[in-house]
Order: sequence, then C-alpha cells, then structure tokens
Amino acid sequence: MPPLKGKPMNNPLFSRRQMLQTLSSGFGYLAFSSLATAAAAKERDDKPTNPLAPKDPHFAAKAKRVIFLCMRGGPSHLDTFDYKPELIKNHGKTGSFRGSLLKSPWDFKQRGESGLWISSLLPEIGSMADELCLLRGMNTDLPVHPRAMTQLHTGATQFVRPSLGSWALYGLGTENESMPGFVSVNTPAGSSQDIGNSFLPSVFGGTKVGGLGGGRLSRGRRRGGSQESVPDIKNSGITKQQQRTQLDFIQRLNNEKMQRDKHQPGVEGVIESYELAFRMQSAMPNLMDISDEDQATLDLYGINDNATGSFGRQCLLARRMSESGVRFVEVSHNGWDTHFSMDSKIPNLCQQIDKPIAGLLTDLKQRGLLEDTLVIWAGEFGRTPYAQNGNGRDHNNKGFTTWMAGGGVKGGFSYGATDENGYEAVEGKCHIHDWHATILHLLGLDHTQLTYRYAGRDFRLTDVHGNVLKDIVA
Amino acid sequence: MNIFSSLLTIAILAALSHATLAQEELSREQLNFFEAKIRPVLIKECYGCHSAKTGATKGGLMVDTKEALLLGGDSGPAIVPGELDESLLWGSINHEDYNMPPGKMLSDKVLDDFKKWIEMGAPDPRVMKITEIKSEITAADVEKGREFWAFKPPALPSIPKVNDESWAETEIDQFVLAKLEQNELQPADDAEAETVLRRLTYGLVGLPPTPDQVAWMNKNFRRDPKAAIEKVVDELLEQEQFGERWGRHWLDIARYGESTGREVNVTYSNAWRYRDYVIDSFNADKPYDEFVQEQIAGDLLPIKSDEDWAENLIATGFLAMGSKALAEQNGRQFRLDLIDEQVDVTSHAILGVSVACARCHDHKFDPIPQSDYYAMSGIFENTSTHYGTIDTLQNRRPSNLIVLPVNDPKLKEKKLSRKELQELKDQLAEVQEQYREATRARIQMRRGGKSSKDPQQATISVARSSTQKAALESKINSYDSNGNPHTYAMGVQEVDKLIETRLLDRGEFDRPGQVVERGFPQVMCAEPVELNAKSSGRLELARWMGSDKNPLTARVMVNRIWQHMMGQAIVRTPENFGATGQSPTHPELLDWLAVKFVKENWSVKAIVREIAISHIFRTGSKFDSAAFNADPLNEMLWRYEPRRLDAEAIRDSLLSISGQLESERPYASIAGIAGEGLVRDGTVFSVADKSNSGGSMQTSSRRGRRNQGGMAGMMANRSGGAVTMLDQPVKYRSVYLPIVRDNIARSLEVFDFAESSMVIGTRETSNTPDQGLYFLNNEFVIEQSELFARRLMAENSDVETQVRGAFLWAYGREATNGEISAAKEFYEQFEVPNRASRRDNSSPALKKLSALCQAILASAEFRFLN
Repeated sequence: MPPLKGKPMNNPLFSRRQMLQTLSSGFGYLAFSSLATAAAAKERDDKPTNPLAPKDPHFAAKAKRVIFLCMRGGPSHLDTFDYKPELIKNHGKTGSFRGSLLKSPWDFKQRGESGLWISSLLPEIGSMADELCLLRGMNTDLPVHPRAMTQLHTGATQFVRPSLGSWALYGLGTENESMPGFVSVNTPAGSSQDIGNSFLPSVFGGTKVGGLGGGRLSRGRRRGGSQESVPDIKNSGITKQQQRTQLDFIQRLNNEKMQRDKHQPGVEGVIESYELAFRMQSAMPNLMDISDEDQATLDLYGINDNATGSFGRQCLLARRMSESGVRFVEVSHNGWDTHFSMDSKIPNLCQQIDKPIAGLLTDLKQRGLLEDTLVIWAGEFGRTPYAQNGNGRDHNNKGFTTWMAGGGVKGGFSYGATDENGYEAVEGKCHIHDWHATILHLLGLDHTQLTYRYAGRDFRLTDVHGNVLKDIVA
Repeated sequence: MNIFSSLLTIAILAALSHATLAQEELSREQLNFFEAKIRPVLIKECYGCHSAKTGATKGGLMVDTKEALLLGGDSGPAIVPGELDESLLWGSINHEDYNMPPGKMLSDKVLDDFKKWIEMGAPDPRVMKITEIKSEITAADVEKGREFWAFKPPALPSIPKVNDESWAETEIDQFVLAKLEQNELQPADDAEAETVLRRLTYGLVGLPPTPDQVAWMNKNFRRDPKAAIEKVVDELLEQEQFGERWGRHWLDIARYGESTGREVNVTYSNAWRYRDYVIDSFNADKPYDEFVQEQIAGDLLPIKSDEDWAENLIATGFLAMGSKALAEQNGRQFRLDLIDEQVDVTSHAILGVSVACARCHDHKFDPIPQSDYYAMSGIFENTSTHYGTIDTLQNRRPSNLIVLPVNDPKLKEKKLSRKELQELKDQLAEVQEQYREATRARIQMRRGGKSSKDPQQATISVARSSTQKAALESKINSYDSNGNPHTYAMGVQEVDKLIETRLLDRGEFDRPGQVVERGFPQVMCAEPVELNAKSSGRLELARWMGSDKNPLTARVMVNRIWQHMMGQAIVRTPENFGATGQSPTHPELLDWLAVKFVKENWSVKAIVREIAISHIFRTGSKFDSAAFNADPLNEMLWRYEPRRLDAEAIRDSLLSISGQLESERPYASIAGIAGEGLVRDGTVFSVADKSNSGGSMQTSSRRGRRNQGGMAGMMANRSGGAVTMLDQPVKYRSVYLPIVRDNIARSLEVFDFAESSMVIGTRETSNTPDQGLYFLNNEFVIEQSELFARRLMAENSDVETQVRGAFLWAYGREATNGEISAAKEFYEQFEVPNRASRRDNSSPALKKLSALCQAILASAEFRFLN
C-alpha cells in the first residue's frame, strides 16, 4: 500500500449540509477553546474543516509522526542501556543504600561506530546503536506505577489530563482521514486514561486496537476475521450507499439533539466518531491485514518466532499505521516490573522486544521513513542499583534511561548521566516535563504555545514546566 | 457443623508462620549437631550460589540464615521444620525437586544428617538481624490527621437558610440551593415529565420507560410532580430489577470477576453465588452495615439457621474474588500479594481510602504509617482464602473452596451410588500408585544416571500422573461420603494457628522488621481498638467497618448513591477521601446524608428515595453559558448533569425495546456452568477428566453438566473436558453475563465496562469510533433492530404510526417535528431493491423500518440521559 503522506484533507462527507450545521452551531467545546478565535470561526463558516485536518506546526518540524514504544512496569536501565562499571566494583556493598548493590548479571558491549554501551541482552537493538539517542538522565516524580505511568503520558501524576498523543493530534491534526489520528496497540485493560483526551474534544482521544491474548482481538480472530481484525468492521447485510443514507439520518438526529442541548461535548463526540467509524470500515481492515507483507519483512520483525511474534506483529502494525499517515501510534509491552527473579525475567523481556524493535527501525529506515518518524522507547521509571528480594530491583524514579531514534534526533548519541551506581540523574537531567517539551519541539510545536482553554484556564501538556533538550536535536 | 468443618482443608500457611524470629533456645546437642554436620556442608556445597555473603542468590534462594531457609526461594520454603516431604531442600539434595548440588550426589551419610536435622526441627543458630523500622509519621501527626474533614465523624449539620423557600422542597434542596445562592447562581428550570421518568427508570432499575409509563407520567407529573415521582419511585424500588441495577454498582466496587485473570486465567465457577447474594441483598434492602459485615466476616457472625450461615459464607466471597497470578512461583510473594489485595479492596471499597499505599513505606499523603498497613494485613494474614482452582501444571497456586452447609437444590451434579464412588476411589488409588512409581523412577534416573529411561519421559510421567491425581481428588472431594454432591462457595475462614505479623522493610518478604499488633488504621479510630488476641481480629474489623464507629463508611456509601442518582458524586474521587482526593462540593449535605443513612438503619432504598423526591433531582439539564462560565464543572449543580448510559443499560434497553428481554434470573452463569477451566480467546476449556478408564466416569460432574446443560456452544474437547464459548446469544439482563477477566462480552466492553480487577467507583465514559462501528455493524444490534421493527409492525400497519412508535419506545418521548421529517426523508431515500419477496422477513417495508429503528437506537439521544 502506498504511503498517504501529505494527502490533503478534503473529505466530501464533511461538506454535507448537516455537518455544516454542526460546525456553525455546535462545537461547543471548540467555541471555548483558544482555537476558536473569531477569525478561525469565520474561516470555518467559509470552508468547512475537520478538526482532525492537518494543521501547520508552530515552526519547521523535524518529525511528522511518532511511534511510542511504551514499556510498562519500569524497565531496568541498569541491565539495558545504562552501563555502570563502578557498580560492578561496588557489587555487594551497601553504602547509604537500603540494600546491597547489585551489578548487572549481563555484559555490556560498545556497539556501532558511536560505541554506545548496550547490554548484551539486546544484540539486535545494539546493532542499531548509531540510530539511538539515549537519554540517561531521566527522572520522574513518583516511584508508583499508575501515577508514574500517568505522568509519562499526561505530565500530571494525579489529575486526569490529555495524553501526549492527544496533544500531538490536537496540535497537528492527522494525515489519514480514514483512521483515528492516535492509535494505541495492545493497551492493557484499565489504562484507558493513559491514552485519553480528557478535556480535549473526544476526537483527539486514542483509539485502542487489538491486544494479543485478550479481549477484542482474539474474538475477532475467533470469528474468522483476519488475524488483526477489528470487531464489527463490516456489515454484510447492507450496501455502502444504504449505510451512508442510514448514517446521514443518524447524524441528522444527532444534530437535532445538538441544537436542543447546546453545549454537549458527548453528542459532538458521537457525531465525529460516527464519521470516522464509517471511513475506518474500509481503511482499517487493509491496515490490519499483514498478509501483503513479504517473508523478508515478517522475518525482520521476528513475526514467525514464538518469543518475538506477538510484539513483532504490533511493531509491524505500528509501521503500517505510521506509513499510512496516523499521527501518533503507541505500542505497549508489559511485564517490566522485575522485583524478583530478574535473572530469568529480564532476558525473556529483552528477547521479546529486541528483534521487533530493531526490525522496526531497519524497516522505517529502508523505507525512508525514519528521518521524519520519531521512535520513542520509554517506561514509567527505572530500577534501583541495589537488590530487592535477592535477585530483583525496586522502582526508581530518580534516574533511568529512555531513548529516541529518527525524527530529527542525533543518532549514536548519549545525553545525560546517572551517578556512579546508576541511582540518581546527575547530568543532563531530563524530567518528564522536559521530555514532553522535547517531543513536541521535534514535532514543530512550542510546548508553551500549545494550549487549550478549559474551566477558565489555559492548559498545556507541560503545565508550567519543561525545557527542550536542544542538545539532542540533530 | 462438624462435618462441615472437618471437610475444610485449609490453605497453605505462610512459610513465615513457623518462623520465630526471636532466638530460640537451642540445646547444646542441637547446636553441636548443626555446627559439626550441617554448617560445613552448607558453606562448602551451597553458599557459592545461595548466599547473601557471596551475593549470589540463584532462584531467589539464600541458605545463610534460618529465616532465609524458611522463606525459601522462588519455588517456596526450602525447609519446613520437621516436615521432610515438604522441605524443598531435602527434595533437592535427593535430586527429586531439583538436582542439587548440580550434578552431584551428596554422600548417604550427609543425606542422613540432613534428614535428622530437618526432622528435629532444623535447629539453626544463624538468625537474621531484625531491624526496627521507624515511622516518620508520629503519634502527633496521626492526632493532627484526625482534624482532616474525612477523618472526623460526620456531624448533623444545621439546615441552611435559603432565599427562595418555595423552591426548596426537601432538606437536600436547602443545602444545594443555599450553595447556589451563595454563588449567585440559580437552579435550572424543571425538566419535562418524560425526561424525569427516564432518569428514574434508568437510575433505579437500569431500563427504559414503556410508552404506557410515559403516558401516565405526562398526565400525573403536570398535576403534582413530587407525588408523581414518589409513586414511580415506590413502584420501582419494589421491582427485582432494582437489585440487578444497584447490585451491579456494588459488583464494580467489589471487582467482581469469574476468573483469576492474568497469564493463567482459570474460571471461578462458583463466583456467581456472590453475584446473586449482592443482588438479593439490594432487593431486600439489607442494612448496609450488615452487608459490609457479612462480606468481611460472614463466617464468624452469629447465625440463626444454616440458611443464614450459607448466605454469610457466600458473602465472604468478596475477599476471595480478586484476580490471582496462579503462575507465581514464589508462594510467599503470592500470599503477600493476596493479603495486599484484600487490604486494598476493603479499604478502598468501604472506607474510601488507600491503606495499601503504605505497604512499602509510610503513606506519602495521609497519616497512615507503614505499621498501620501491617496491623490490618495481619488480620488477613490470619485468614485463609478459598478461591478454588485445582493443582495442574500451569497452576502453581491451587486452593480449595468452602462447602456450604445447605445444598443448592438446582445443582447439576447427580448423586453418586456407593459403587460409583468406590470406583472413583479405586481409580485414585491406582493413579496414586502410578504417581509414586513415576516419582521413584525419576529419582532413580537422576541419582544413578544409568537408568535406561529417557529423562523427558520420566518428567512427563510424573506430571501426567500428578495432574490426574489432582483431578480425581478434587472430584472425590466434591461428594460427601454418601455420594451426595457438595455445594461450594468462594470465601474465607480463620486459620488454625495464629501467627504474628512483622512489618516488612520496603514490603519485601526477606526483610522482616518488628512485630506489629493487629489493628485498624489509627487515624480513623478515635479510641484505641482492642482485638481479641485469640482470633484474627477479622470479626472486629467487620464490626468496625460496618458501623458508624469509623468516620467514613456511611459517607462513602451515600456519596456513591448520590453519584448514581445525580450523575456525579459529592466527593468526585469516590475511592479517595484522603488528602489527595477532592474535597466534597457540598460537605454539609454529605454529612447530613451520612447521618440520615445511619438513622434510617442504613437503608440504601431510603437514601435513593430521598434523593429522587428532591426538587434538584428533577431540574433540567439545559445549558446556560453564564452559569457554565462561573462553574464549568457544575460543582454547584446549576443543572442536572447529562451523562451517557452505561454498557448494561444500553444492552438491556436494546433487548427491552425489541421485546426480547428475559426478566428471569438465569441459574448460575455461563462461566459457572462451564465449570472450572482455563480461559483462552473467549472460550473455557474445562478441567478434563484425565482418567482413561471410562466406565464410572459417566456420572462425573463434567459430563453430567454437559448432558443436562444442553447449552449451545458446548462440546467436548480432546481430553474429555467440556469446551464452552462465553459469547452466547442469551437474552437475560447484562448483570448475568459471564464476567470472565480479559474476556468481557463485546456489548459491555465497547461501552467502558468496569475493569474487573480493580475497585471501580466511576466508570469511564469514552466516545470512540468503535462504539460507532458497534451500532452500525454489530449483529446483535441489527437483530434487535429488526425485532423492534417487527414489534412495531405487529402493533400497527400504518407507517407513520410505526415510526412515531419507534421514537416513543427508544427515547421515552414523542418524536419532534424535525425528527419526524428526517425519518420520512430517510424512509424515502433508503432504497431497498424490490426483489420478489421470498418471505416476510425480506419485505422492503421491514427492511426499511429495521434500518430506521437501528438508526434511532444508534443516535446520541438513545445513549444519553438528560
């Protein structure tokens, strides 16, 4: 399937009379947003636009789209990307720590021309070292999973705020009108808030797709759909034309309700989501069906291997969606909470992601997509250099590593550092707010300017914080 | 009663229970034996890989202190003093459980020394250093913490004065109006009769109003709105559907689920008894304090009859219902996580605070020191939890169930004849022999290495016979000695032998601190609590939680009731009344309701009624931009907050409107009828009868169920157990659908069903294209739309009347002119190829009306409540 990069958003369905009515009379939420200046409103009256239509960034963007590889549970930086020779020497000592220091049981090697130190557990990702920009001075507010995961996604630890992907979509719109602009693959149950739009209009919320081994995806498969099929994507008892007539009627009823209720974000959300749903019916099955990929590509992602098949398939889906113009794709990988038995758990986890991620980077690169696709690898926090339960590590919010690749960051580059044992960030510190500011910057958005007015206040992803890490921009 | 208690097998006690961390007096003889025979071997053979000193702790095991041996590693305790067979270390040096030291057999003499040592109770002078863990939260902090609003007992507030006295009809109105007036806002104008009726039927019973009800309301509301509402409320409160609606709210809180969830997802085939208990309790308007007490300590409460006892036992399923990681290798970790989950669910659900936050360190925000967590967890540590699931290869953490003192008359199992029972026992003896033989063969092979048998084969034989043994034992145990099938429930019991609880540094089981006395969070206890030292303290906990002796239980529940009636809560973080939660929008109203609740004998129905008859309940939801600017979150209630219906209300409405809803409660649930089994991809693979010797197996529970059940989608799997699809075309209410974790029905999942592993007080209300796809394309929706159309056509032959009827049924009101003209246009535009009609069901008229009905159901009006 050819990429749909830069395809202009000109959706005939949105120029229909009823949609016009919606746009002029409804959009209560937008009416209260900073976007709804009089000029913008006037322009909308003249030329109907979709709230998801591509928008110009604040300045020239390095990255046009994002693939966020979300490692849930808090991956150990000390056993993956943060090489600590001093920790090897200090192994067994207690010092001021609450437990005895534990060296990584695995070797680190210098990889690529850049010579970045990477754990031997990640040989394939290591082979892509020259693409990686390691952020080794990460820190976050709290060492508690749900709070830290919420902060990683929304900047806030406690309140319900829009997700990073929602902000990106709100700022830039999307390039594939037939797909949600923010898709989340394999989101675990109970974490919808991580990808939620919060007070932004619901059209900017993340759409969940699939999830291996649970819920939707497997039911789709059971019903004989294609492997990654989406439930209820097709209605075989009705023609496209009939369905459009039916949908027009539904939307008229919805618009009637909008007129009656005035301010009703929920009804607006229904109107918008129906149009998207209608278009998704043709776009989604094509994107989810990977049978048109050749064997070499499947092998690249390790799709036919038991250990890597599941995450590999998700990474391949991420590429297909990015390529088709989805602005923000998030892929989750679970299980990094290694409080004990890490000597068996971490190698398994690393094996599951190593080949798929290296395959994704390689594939993006060979398609010429890596230069303007920002790939992010991050968990909610790191782990302690001291041992827990003998062979595990505790949560550590004071220092950890994330990385980025492509999308205008320096490759083969390491920024920031933790102390000699890897406990606390001491150099090139990057708080989650800074991380968010930098991601938006790479997308051509000024994090202080990307605001949304809600409940009488201009909100932004970084609240009143955030410094762009200019040093990592290529 | 005696039979009952003797049948109870108690869950594996925590390893630490036997550990007396205080130095035991060892005799000189014991000491000499250890120093001469044991210590040198441990140092020479084991420390290399299992010692804190060398830093190597393979498999999580350390052998350099007595406590470390008792705790063991990932596979469980290394030593159980006096119990040779249960001591992994013994099995390992004999190369049974493990092959230790690797590839080497210790001499017979050394083995004999270890045998003696374990049998004499494993005396060991190497005691772990216990550190006193100091809390940063002082007694003064706790005392000061009691000043926080939520930790002060609710006090009856004075009723505020209002300017517009004629508007305020009830005390609730006075509280709300006073607040509005203070903020220079006004309550919205009253809503239309039909809008209020829809709020009432959905709010109380979760179903749409019928056209007859709409007509009645329209007539009577005009005359006297309050009287009309009272009449409707009193009728609805008496319906069985009330319990189904409000019971489901509680099931969200109780993280009700019919399987363990996680990697190895095994069904809880008796969970539904708890579901029915909850629904019945709400229908009976059981006082909420009793309802709470039964769920925490129903097994310990005084009873009048066996029927009461059975009900109370089922209630304790509340504590057993959590998700479980059956694949967990470390038994101690599993046990601690289970206890943690019990602390978490009770404190969140009932007290609206998070005590579990203090497992690893003092609570960061509330004055709950770590010791308070261990005081409460000590209660559950002395409780045994029975959730079922038999011992199979994948299940490392099996458990048993509680036999109920009263048999379920609808049980599907048949009585076994004496002969059949004997045959089962014979088979078990046979399998036990096979198991012994297989184990012996494996030991021999490992020891000698020369045995001709293939090592993989030996392992497989052991595994197979062990699973067969577990399945047979479980089957035999499910009948009494006369062959009558037992009725089981999930729940909890007291442990046989009390153990003391230690604070764990950072929550780590290998870092014990000082002993903590069992108790409750201090900040919520104005007076010190005395627990009976001879019991777990669970009964006291139940009586304290299910009462007004703590400041929170009543407040938390009235807040939930308010939330379900009004669309948003007074404390908008219903699970968090602590410092990081939100403050109440109407603190005095909250206290007034809490005091009233207690005074009304904790009657949920009384509070529901009180709210329903208030004036504020029937105000409109009209938007007002000035009020919105002043109070965008509608905290003052300047209008009734519109909201989306939840998943159950949407599915039940579709069935109700199409005339298909079956109001009878089904027996058990699809998951319960499937029996215990592994869940994959929406299918339950029931535990198979692994025995190959046929014959007597005919009457086994599994096959009996299969024959009698006659459920669609049920068939035999290869190994003999039943295979059950969870997604079946059933027409009863959604509360009875199988709630199997990670396998929730599409109709529920698509509209934000509660995550069944967590305490959920507020469901999400997402607005996604997936919901659009569901209404456009889902087979169930299409089918109900057609049945709805048939119903309308059967009632009237005139198209316009049919269309008007569709709106009336679906929206609970007459269609507007705009809606009628849109519908007419659609009816003309929607082209149906005029094929020779083969049957009625393909008639163009039906097709058109079906598509029209579907669109009406798919629109926003249907799924929103104004």
